[in-house]
Amino acid sequence: MERAHTICQDGVSSGGVLAHLERLEAQVNKSHKKSEELQSAQAEESALETKIHQLRHIRDKLRAEVKQRQARANASSANVEPDQTVEISEQDVLERKQENMKAILQAYHFTGLSGKVTSRGVCVCISTAFEGNLLDSYFVDLVIQKPLQIHHHSIPVFIPLEKIAAKYLQTDIQHFLFSLCEYLNAYSGRKYQADQLQSDFAALLTGPLQRNPLCNLLSFTYKVDLGDRSFPFCARLLYKDLTRTLPTDVTVTYQGMEALSTAWEKHRASHETLFCTVPLHRVFASFSREGEKLDLSLS
Amino acid sequence: MDEIVAEFIRRTILKIPMYEMMTILKAWNFLSENQLQTINFRQRKECLVQDLVLLCEEKCASLNDAALLDIIYTQVHRHQKVWDVFQMSKKPDEDIDLFDMEQFKCSFKKILQRALKNVTVSFRDAEENAVWIRIAWGTQCTKPNQYKPTYVLLYPQTPYAFTSSKLKSFMPLLGQALTVASKHHQIVKMDLRSRHLDSLKAIVFKQCNQTFEDHNSITPLQERCLELDVNVDSRIIHENTVEKERVQRVTQETFGDYPQPQLEFAQYKLVTKFKSDLNGGILAERKEPLRCLIKFSSPHLLEALKSLAPAGIADAPLSPLLTCIPNKGMNYFKIRDK
Repeated sequence: MERAHTICQDGVSSGGVLAHLERLEAQVNKSHKKSEELQSAQAEESALETKIHQLRHIRDKLRAEVKQRQARANASSANVEPDQTVEISEQDVLERKQENMKAILQAYHFTGLSGKVTSRGVCVCISTAFEGNLLDSYFVDLVIQKPLQIHHHSIPVFIPLEKIAAKYLQTDIQHFLFSLCEYLNAYSGRKYQADQLQSDFAALLTGPLQRNPLCNLLSFTYKVDLGDRSFPFCARLLYKDLTRTLPTDVTVTYQGMEALSTAWEKHRASHETLFCTVPLHRVFASFSREGEKLDLSLS
Repeated sequence: MDEIVAEFIRRTILKIPMYEMMTILKAWNFLSENQLQTINFRQRKECLVQDLVLLCEEKCASLNDAALLDIIYTQVHRHQKVWDVFQMSKKPDEDIDLFDMEQFKCSFKKILQRALKNVTVSFRDAEENAVWIRIAWGTQCTKPNQYKPTYVLLYPQTPYAFTSSKLKSFMPLLGQALTVASKHHQIVKMDLRSRHLDSLKAIVFKQCNQTFEDHNSITPLQERCLELDVNVDSRIIHENTVEKERVQRVTQETFGDYPQPQLEFAQYKLVTKFKSDLNGGILAERKEPLRCLIKFSSPHLLEALKSLAPAGIADAPLSPLLTCIPNKGMNYFKIRDK
């Protein structure tokens, strides 16, 4: 930089040549660099190009090999002895068919009414369900002779099996089975609702759930909370039709000391309707959800 | 606490064997865990019982609490009593049975209290919606006798009740109370009696055979084979294989493959004329029928009957009088000439 200094102090002419030479040198260096860069870029380019060529070459080779092997495999499979393959596949096919058949027979349970032939006759299986939930299965072992007889069964004692059998067993076996299915499915459904209420909604009940073996009389006390006030109710559900899962008679009574306001009287009546039309556990599910809604609507 | 109640509790706890003491006291749930922990259960039984009675006094045990303890003891020791079976019936076209447990208990108690001023009635709910009832009987003037109670195991919405009673004179009243309170029309005592309550239940509820052929389960019935020794030398031939197989088959058809309900006896009262192939004879000329009582006793009567033919002691098939016992639900028979 001293030269530059001298250039400025001495004037333009003396520093000018050296500076000029410097500038020229710098120019040459620059152009050298540029050409070097260009060269290296070109070299890189050509290197990549060769690599591409190489990879393409390998790819083509592998493709050719695959084709060759496939052709060989096809040729060899065509040469295998025909007897062996037929034997294996037949056995396989039969086994698969048998497995399939077994699975279908087992899956018949899901239709609700299935059976298996026995040495005496047939063992009928009634699989009950409610709202898509598979519940208990019950069996009736029938002896095929005149008259048709029930050998043994697993129907609960409180289901009127003898009555249904007396009516239909000898004359119309289909009606017998369907009627039995009706009673059992309804019983299972009522039992399911009562069990669900006891297990999932115990917090909303203020006392134990009273029930009987057929689950056709349910009595319970529950409360609806609104802020700091609590409204206790007592519900009594009668299921007089044993082929149905919904009650025939519902009474909801207010258990509090004071008289019920008209708004709450409407609620009480709506509860009665709810219990008549909606399965028990669903009613309570809606109670636990609507606890907050009630707050807003009555304030 | 009443002296009567204290004495009653003392005698009841004394009956309990030591190895059951904790379980029964816990089931009773009258004395809390903490209270039970203050007692030394390793001392002599008399002293232990004294301590327990003192605790009960502190907690003011009532007659009902004591009765509950007695029910629990009986539930555990049910085989110590002989149980009868009663069957109730409704009128043919009666309404659906809407059994209300609370209503039943209230009604049952009222009926007995109206008839006899002094009576102790206690209830304990059991599994399968059944209920145990204990009744200590008194009269209009005397207090109930807590040491000769009647126990009833009632299965609502079924026709059956099982009872055990030392005092037979109160049975008609009990029958009436059960019938009216459970809204039935009639009650009849079945000719079935045993110490084994569970077996009686299996017989009347027809739950003896609970194996069913199903596509979802592997049936052992299909793999039935004779119980002949497979390891025996093949040069040995059983001459009577055919007969043995026939006996096995007949026995299996009659009794099934399932465990038989347990009964201790079968009793046959015969009022019949003597029948003989031979002409004459004193007995054949007798105009009055002969009366005799035949009683079969066994720790497990039905299993014993089942093994008679395979053991070669009796011919197969056995007499239907013997094989009809579980199907008819009877083990007391009266046989007369037709």
